[in-house]
Amino acid sequence: MTGEDIFRKFKKLIPKESFFSRLDSLAKKYRLFGPVNIKNQTAFREIHTSKELFMEYKSTMLSPGKLFIFRPKEELFRFHKNEGIKIEELPPVSEQQIIIGVHPCDTNAILYLDRTFMGIYKDPYYEARRKNTMIISLNCTNVSPNCFCSSVGSGPFLKAEKGYDMLLTDFGDRYLMEIKSKRAEELFNMKGKKAGKEEMEIKRDIENSVLEAFTKTIAVEGLDELFLRNMDHPVWQHTAEERCLSCSNCVLVCPTCFCYDLIDESSMDMKMTRRIRQLDACQDMRFAEVYGGNFRQRRAARLRQFVTHKLNQTVQYGVYGTVGCGRCITWCPTGIDLTEMAIEIRRSEKDM
Amino acid sequence: MKKPRLGFFKYSCCAGCEFQVMYFQKHVLETLKNFEFIFARMLLRGGNPHGPFDIALVEGTITEAWQADELKKIREKSTLLFAIGSCAVDGGIPAIKSTMPELDVESKVYADITTIHSIRPHAIDAYIKVDGYIRGCPPGERDLAEALSSVLSDKKPDFINYSVCVECKLKGNVCVLVAYGMPCMGPVTNAGCGALCPSMNRACYACFGPMKQANGPALARKFKMMGLSKEDIKRRFTEFGADTLEFRRALDILED
Repeated sequence: MTGEDIFRKFKKLIPKESFFSRLDSLAKKYRLFGPVNIKNQTAFREIHTSKELFMEYKSTMLSPGKLFIFRPKEELFRFHKNEGIKIEELPPVSEQQIIIGVHPCDTNAILYLDRTFMGIYKDPYYEARRKNTMIISLNCTNVSPNCFCSSVGSGPFLKAEKGYDMLLTDFGDRYLMEIKSKRAEELFNMKGKKAGKEEMEIKRDIENSVLEAFTKTIAVEGLDELFLRNMDHPVWQHTAEERCLSCSNCVLVCPTCFCYDLIDESSMDMKMTRRIRQLDACQDMRFAEVYGGNFRQRRAARLRQFVTHKLNQTVQYGVYGTVGCGRCITWCPTGIDLTEMAIEIRRSEKDM
Repeated sequence: MKKPRLGFFKYSCCAGCEFQVMYFQKHVLETLKNFEFIFARMLLRGGNPHGPFDIALVEGTITEAWQADELKKIREKSTLLFAIGSCAVDGGIPAIKSTMPELDVESKVYADITTIHSIRPHAIDAYIKVDGYIRGCPPGERDLAEALSSVLSDKKPDFINYSVCVECKLKGNVCVLVAYGMPCMGPVTNAGCGALCPSMNRACYACFGPMKQANGPALARKFKMMGLSKEDIKRRFTEFGADTLEFRRALDILED
């Protein structure tokens, strides 16, 4: 990515108007994506002018990282069968794009996806799109009832130093703009008041007041061990029976869930096959299917798989699988709350 | 290569599935080119109903005794047999009558029932083993293409087995159930339609029938909390899935 490049990490106060007009001037060269208001909801969509943006949004159903970098569904390549088999590579991803207004939870989620797709094994589709995408993060000042990012260290203000291009903080009619990459420095080298100690203190004050707005918290100490001790806790069974629909909404709206399925779609003469990748979900009976069926036959086992992957498996990447965005709670049709399940397990251990 | 011999059989239904094969947009020419149609009442005059068949497609619910007898014979003469459409897969619309006693239904519909020989409706897999389910009302194009091409390539067909919610999320639809409070059946309904209704800002009404292992009671409880009447909840779960365990179980919560 861009971390190695040498650049001036300048911090400036930029009037919002000039920031937006700079964005508009970039619209010819870049595809722009950002939060847009649609029928009382906010969603990340492609925009053609900055006027469409709704930067004061709270949360969106789908995260930008799983819409524009890791695509929900994409064709990877085709193969043709005549005498032999010929693989047809699709043209590499070359579109340059900018995602505007990514909240810290979602920026951290993209950093999490990087661990999967750009770790030991590089996913060429993800990597190409990631490199061609500029991320303009926006510190969050709109806390929703289901947000718990402050408990897992991924928000409301972004602490990560690299892996994205710019960090904005809302200062009323201006943005505090912190440049984090060379390409951002080049594109957004704008006139503005240099931000110093004083502005950083104001930023800290804003952060502290936002922190007070959180209503949902989770104590993360010892969660790994807590879940390992309680793999057969009754909470799994009764939540699965009474409320879990196995509809996979939780997994699909999760910004860090990276599982995918590969599907081959052939023409009837078998001459051409498309290989398609689309999001998969551990709540689905087909997910871990091998000869003889899914290892997790019980609904409770599949629900536990999701919750523990979010709250327990720090062994995988050394961080929690959750960024505390609360989407799985908000968009669960029956409102299953993983933080409440953790609390219930903890409480039952105390009672023993 | 010899073309596979195809038979299309119809029981109690609207014959829409057979027409769907004709209107099979992207694949109709391929289908006609690659299969030999031996028997298909809506597509072909005459035909040979006795087989043998490499592939049999069966639409419709079994609602009369003779249909069950004939179905068993077709099974024996067919290498592969697929249930096509919600009626054959789950009982579909004709199975609504299984929510009341058979005689009551007959008397409601016919003035004179002396010549009526109906039986309790069932999906075809209540009588015979099937090799796959092409779900939907009308059947989804993707699953239909998958079934037919799997016959041509001699592989196990890979049918869609997840909820409508998955298709909604892949399309990026805002959830009509959570965001707008519509009583959407999507979470318990098998996908394959491309989330057609929610994409048009309407609640899913489960025309593809229940997803395997769907948790009907949990969604019925949610509907109850949303303030839907008992009758309304019952209608939603028995419109297409009255003969299925997954949806039948949802009615239990209406008793509490």
